[in-house]
Amino acid sequence: MEVRQNQFWNLQNYADKIFISGSILVSLGILLVTVGGSWDITNHLLNKPETFFSPPHFLMYSGVGIGLIGVAIAFLGYRNLQDSKEAFRLPLRLKFLGIALLIGAGPFDYVWHSNFGLDGLLSPPHFTLLAGMLLCSIGGMFGITRFLHLKSSSNLTRYLIVLGVLPVWLAGSGIISSLSLPFSNTDYFEFNPDSSFAFVIATVAYPFLISLICITAAKLSNFKPGIISIVGGLFVLIYGMTAIVPNFALLESVEFYSMNMIPFVMADLIVSFGKTKKVTMVAGGILGSMFYMVYYPYVMYTYNELLLGKLVSPSMIYHTYFELMPQVMQFTIIPSIVMGIIAVFVAYKFSNKIMIKN
Amino acid sequence: MKKIIIIAIVVISLSVYFAMTVFVLPEKFLAKEQLAPRPFLEAKVSSTEIDLGESFRLSTVSENIGDYGDIHILSVSFPTLSEIGQNVKIVSYDFSNTPIYIEVGDEIGAKYSGGLETIIAQYPSIEAMNRPVYPESKYVMDLQITPDQPGPFTMYVKSIDIPHANSFSHYPIDGTLDHQEEYVLVYAVNVNP
Repeated sequence: MEVRQNQFWNLQNYADKIFISGSILVSLGILLVTVGGSWDITNHLLNKPETFFSPPHFLMYSGVGIGLIGVAIAFLGYRNLQDSKEAFRLPLRLKFLGIALLIGAGPFDYVWHSNFGLDGLLSPPHFTLLAGMLLCSIGGMFGITRFLHLKSSSNLTRYLIVLGVLPVWLAGSGIISSLSLPFSNTDYFEFNPDSSFAFVIATVAYPFLISLICITAAKLSNFKPGIISIVGGLFVLIYGMTAIVPNFALLESVEFYSMNMIPFVMADLIVSFGKTKKVTMVAGGILGSMFYMVYYPYVMYTYNELLLGKLVSPSMIYHTYFELMPQVMQFTIIPSIVMGIIAVFVAYKFSNKIMIKN
Repeated sequence: MKKIIIIAIVVISLSVYFAMTVFVLPEKFLAKEQLAPRPFLEAKVSSTEIDLGESFRLSTVSENIGDYGDIHILSVSFPTLSEIGQNVKIVSYDFSNTPIYIEVGDEIGAKYSGGLETIIAQYPSIEAMNRPVYPESKYVMDLQITPDQPGPFTMYVKSIDIPHANSFSHYPIDGTLDHQEEYVLVYAVNVNP
C-alpha cells in the first residue's frame, strides 16, 4: 500500500515538472518571437528587406517552434496531473489558442507578402501573430506563477516570474505599437491609425502596461526585492538592443536610454519596503510617468504625427524625439501617472486571480 | 528613520532622472549638429558615338563623402525614351536594394522633398538604393544601353542622400534640372543611322 502511495506521488511530481517545463518553454519561445518582432521593426525601418526570409523572421519563427514544443510538453504534463488539473486548465487553454494563432500567422504572413509585397506593422497576419503571442505569453505566465504558488516554496524559483511576465509585456507593447505607430500604410492598404486615436492609445495604454506588468510581478513574488528592477532592466536591455543599438545614428543615445533603470529600481525599493496598496500606488504612478522615455525611440513617431507632422528618417529620430519632449510631457504627464495608478488596482485583481487556492 | 532615508533616496534619484532625461540630455543632443550625408557621383559612357543597333555601357560610381545617412539613391533617367523595354539592361550593381524601374505616368517624389511633393514621371528611369549609408561607402551600377532610334541619346544621372539636410545632400548641386526639379549630370551618345 505504502509503495503504491509513493509511486502515486512520484508520478504527480513528474507531471508537475513536465507541465512547468512546458510553460517555461512557451514563455521562452514567445520571448524570442517578441525580441525578433522588435528587431524586425528596426530592420524594416533601416534596411527595407525585400524578402520574407530575414534574420528577425528566423528568430520569430524559431520562437514559434519552441513555443509549440512547450505547448505539447505542457499538454503531456497536464494529462498526467493527479491533482490541480483545474488550476492548470486555463493556462493550457490559453496556450492552445495562442499557439494555433501563431502557427496560422506564419503561412498567412507568407501569402500576404507574396500577394501584397511588404506589409506594414498593422496587417491581418501581423495582428494574428500579436494576438497569438499575447495569449501564449499569458498562458505561460499563468502556468509558471500558478505552479510557483501551488507547488514550489523555493525562494530562488520565484525569479521565474520574470520569465513569465516579460513576454506578456513585450507582446502587449507590440499590440499597442501596432495600434499607434504610423508604420502601416503600404501600396495596397492604408492601415495607419488616425493620429488623434494613436495619440490617446499611446498615452493611456503604454503607462498602464508598464505599471501593470511591474506591479503584477512584484505582487506575485510577494514583493520580493529586485523583481521590478530585473523585469524593467531586461525590458530596457531587450528594447535597447533591438531598437537602438542596430541604428548607428542612435548609438550615442544609449546613455539617455539606460537612465530608465533609475525609476525601475526606485519603484522596486518603494514596493519592497512599503508592501501596502497605497505605497504601491506611488510606485505605479512613477512607472506610468516614464513611458515616453521607456518607449524611446519609436513612440516619437506617434506624437510627431499630431504635434509636428515632420518627415523623420531613421537618423533624425533622436532630434525629433527630443524636440517633442516638452510638448509630450506637458500633454501626457498627468494621464500617464493616473494610468499607472489605475494599473495598480488591476494588477492586484489580476494577481489574486492567478494565485487561486488549490 | 529608515523610512525617511528611503524617501530621500527615492526623491533625489527621481529628481536626477527627470532632470537628466527631460532637460539636460535633450538639450545636449539638440545642440549637436544633425547628421548630413553628402553624395558624389562619377559616370562614364563607353562610347560617345555608335551606329544604330549597337550598344554602349554607362558605368556609375556613387559614394557618400559626408556623415552617416539613411538612404543613398542613384537615379539614371532617359528623356529620349518613352519606355525602357529592351533598350536598357542592368549588367551589375552592388546596392543593397534591387533597382526599381520607374515608368512614364508613375507618381514620384520631387524637389528633394522625400515624397512630400510629387510629380508624374514624364520619362522612364532606373533608381538604385542603398540602406543605410555609411561614410565613404561606394556603390556601382553598370548599364548596357541599346538605342532603337538614330540621333542624340540623352541620359540624366543624379545621386541623393537622405536625410536631405542641405544643398550638399544631392549631386550635382547645380546645373540642369530634370522633371523632378532636381539637378542632374547630362550624358549624350550620338546614334548614327
